[in-house]
Amino acid sequence: MRWRHAVSAVALAALLMAAAPAWPQASSRTLPSAEAVVQAVLDAPALIDYEGTKVMSAVRGDRAQTVTVLESYKRPGKLRLEFLSPESVGARLIVDDGATMWQYEPTLHIVIQGPSFVGGRSTDALRAVVSRYRPRVLGTEEVIGRETVVLALQPRGTGGERRLWVDRATGVVLRTEERDRAGDLAFSAFFTRISYSLNLPSALFRFQPPAGARVFSFYLAGDPVTDVSKVRALAGFAVIAPQTLVTNYTFLYGATAKYGAFSAATVTYGDGVSVLSVFQTPSRRMAFPQAGTVVSLGGGRTGRLLDLGYFRILMWEAGGLRLAAVGLLAPAQLIAIAEELNR
Amino acid sequence: MTHARAERMLSALLDNELTADEVTALRAHVAGCEVCRAEFERLSQVKRLLAALPEREPPSSYWTALRTVPVQHAAPVRPAPLDALRAVFRRPAAALAAAAAVVLLVVLPLAKGRVDRLRAAEIGVDVYVHEYALASAYDPFADRAYLGLLIGDAGRTLLGEPRPQPGEPR
Repeated sequence: MRWRHAVSAVALAALLMAAAPAWPQASSRTLPSAEAVVQAVLDAPALIDYEGTKVMSAVRGDRAQTVTVLESYKRPGKLRLEFLSPESVGARLIVDDGATMWQYEPTLHIVIQGPSFVGGRSTDALRAVVSRYRPRVLGTEEVIGRETVVLALQPRGTGGERRLWVDRATGVVLRTEERDRAGDLAFSAFFTRISYSLNLPSALFRFQPPAGARVFSFYLAGDPVTDVSKVRALAGFAVIAPQTLVTNYTFLYGATAKYGAFSAATVTYGDGVSVLSVFQTPSRRMAFPQAGTVVSLGGGRTGRLLDLGYFRILMWEAGGLRLAAVGLLAPAQLIAIAEELNR
Repeated sequence: MTHARAERMLSALLDNELTADEVTALRAHVAGCEVCRAEFERLSQVKRLLAALPEREPPSSYWTALRTVPVQHAAPVRPAPLDALRAVFRRPAAALAAAAAVVLLVVLPLAKGRVDRLRAAEIGVDVYVHEYALASAYDPFADRAYLGLLIGDAGRTLLGEPRPQPGEPR
């Protein structure tokens, strides 16, 4: 029987080597370059399947939300999430087959169908990341018994730092930390266990609504357009959409979103890594939202800021429009964007 | 679909303002909800009554008379307010119909518009969260499991369910 174990071990090693990341396999003492680590993270979704248990914590005000989830990933771009705790989200199932996302809420016996959020990246992703961020390798650390390279991503403009603990053998991120500008932890996620290349069955990533469940379609946004004039034509009003925002965010696409009585034009910007969305609705169609706390925007204007821990929403009014900027940026930067758009 | 949400959408169903999926979901709810069925029937009746009101062209003599009025009178002669009120009370059925028409044609759309504006403000934040989390798929370092959590929470809230609250104090 021992030879069978040996064969299995060799097969497993071969699988891991076949799925090796882009950076050179140097000895554990030699650190790979930051660009090589970034490239390995970008390449991992095309090379590695995994299944593991993850704990995520997001700080929101004086409270922290901690969620445990069973996460399974299968190439290319298929994701299955089974939420284990807390009870409020427990037993929620999300299956994303790369084209459609299905969410099942067993406590309500409802299914929500919507667009996939496990999208791919362009081949130029590394260049985009390096041009807008300063990636640095801080060293190596062990996470759940695996050697990881600690990668720090600092925006070249303003913004909080992101740290990733990247599995040296696979390129999968085993631990993430995001800090705000003050250095306080805003979000963390880490695997408590992980298994690679299990040949996960395809059936795990297919979803069939349970009998009797009510199915709701949640395609709220129309097709994106990359021409600002087309966004304005779709929206039917003068959408504010400069080509760049706060120097390092550039226009990606626009769309319209509608749900019930709500409708908005959405303009999305990217800085090579993160995105920033600006939603706009004519004031005649929408009262001012009362969520969040009042903040001063300068010039005697006020807005409302809702801090969701992982990202923030700044809402204000200008030129007969209700505007909302949503992004990972700090409140002061969102306020700067509001002032830029008001001009 | 929750009862509260269904109740709000009944009028839109009657006016054919819903998508096919919303119609299916709402009809499923109405089939099993006595209150919504009664409300829907009441709204349908109001609409039927309004539709039954005949549309009449004014007689041609009216236009002739109207054109000659400015010539005959330097200033339009209006009945005294008291006389107008008396005239209305002489025909209470007409007065009631006129009041109902004002309510249905002016007040209700205004009220609906106001309700829609408030509702848009209420659900807007959840749409922001939902759409931003989807847009974050662009971010190669975003945690997909956390995006799934945010999208899931927002979707659930948009269906009228309470948002799961953060847990322990920091």
